Amino acid sequence: MPKVKIPRKSTAIDMTAMCDVAFLLLTFFILTTKFRAQEAVQIDIPSSTAQIPIPDRDIMLFQIAPDGRIFFGLDDQPTRLKLLDRLSSEYSMPLSDKQKEAFRTLEVWGMDIRSLPEFLDKDPAERAKLQQPGLTIDTLGGNHQVEDLILFSRQENNNLRIAIKADKTTEYRSFDKLIQALQNRKVNKFNLITSARLAKE
Amino acid sequence: MAEMNTSGGGGHKKGKKVRGKKMSTRVDLTAMVDLGFLLITFFMLATTFNKPKTMEVNKPAKDDIDKKDEPPIKMSKTATIMLGKGDKIYAYVSPDEIDATTELQLDSIDYSPKGLRKFIQRRQSEVQEQWGNKDDLFIMIKPLPASSFKNIVDALDEMTINDVKRYAILEPNDPIDSLVAARAGQSRK
Repeated sequence: MPKVKIPRKSTAIDMTAMCDVAFLLLTFFILTTKFRAQEAVQIDIPSSTAQIPIPDRDIMLFQIAPDGRIFFGLDDQPTRLKLLDRLSSEYSMPLSDKQKEAFRTLEVWGMDIRSLPEFLDKDPAERAKLQQPGLTIDTLGGNHQVEDLILFSRQENNNLRIAIKADKTTEYRSFDKLIQALQNRKVNKFNLITSARLAKE
Repeated sequence: MAEMNTSGGGGHKKGKKVRGKKMSTRVDLTAMVDLGFLLITFFMLATTFNKPKTMEVNKPAKDDIDKKDEPPIKMSKTATIMLGKGDKIYAYVSPDEIDATTELQLDSIDYSPKGLRKFIQRRQSEVQEQWGNKDDLFIMIKPLPASSFKNIVDALDEMTINDVKRYAILEPNDPIDSLVAARAGQSRK
């Protein structure tokens, strides 16, 4: 009896369609998402029913960690450099080009302004590891560091909007300190960053 | 379809014309697909998808607060909520005039729809009854220092949900506030 021969089929599959899908998805992800910003501290933001999306440009961001440390960030690199120039002249600390370059790429930072040069001298890996102490804030007079940051940044870029990103568990006391500083500099309008949530019935 | 051209050119039979070998135009796309999915994975992990939303807050300018020429708002149109430690809210309505016999009803509520939302809605209907317009209700939000940022966001959110037109974040500076805070065992400073 002749054996029934099963025709041997090729195991190769046409990959064209799959390739199309893969690159379509890739394009979608590239266009719709935004790179996760480097964070000085982990912040878990509260949710709200607010629907206003955060503006894309010209943002001055304050982050408040659960323990009350305040961090500062500007999204725009030219403004960052201008701010640094102002700071270096106001606080009379000369900076090298290398330090300036380091500041240009610094997303968020929080420390006494006078200790900035030392921090900028470190290499990026060391900087990421370092626990930053938070901005020096004193709204009762004396040390106006946060107010200076607000004032100088706004003078360098007039369109800046102020956003505050605070952790769920941040106490009102540290939030209030920041608000006082903002109000001392005549900023009465600011945005609180929250994640979207549907209204409960 | 896209199978690999494994048979190669094969040996040319004798007597046939030597032709240029006909190459298959098909390319193996497996490697490209691998690359595509690798990149997708990278983008999924390294980026954020939903853009956070923001809540706009307008505080009255400091100079405005000092101006006393505006007539004070009728207390019966107001409600005060003090946000305290441990996700607690102390809500009360100040009477129009305080004298020795005044009694204050203090509610301790939470942020659930049954707590804060119910309180606001009850106040809205009371104001509606008394003044004919529920939008006259003025809510004073007074966060105590130990309340959390989430509490403030939730309280502000509740204003939007209930369509409260007038509200403000204030400091708990009233004499009543200090009494309330003391009774609730929360520090005011």
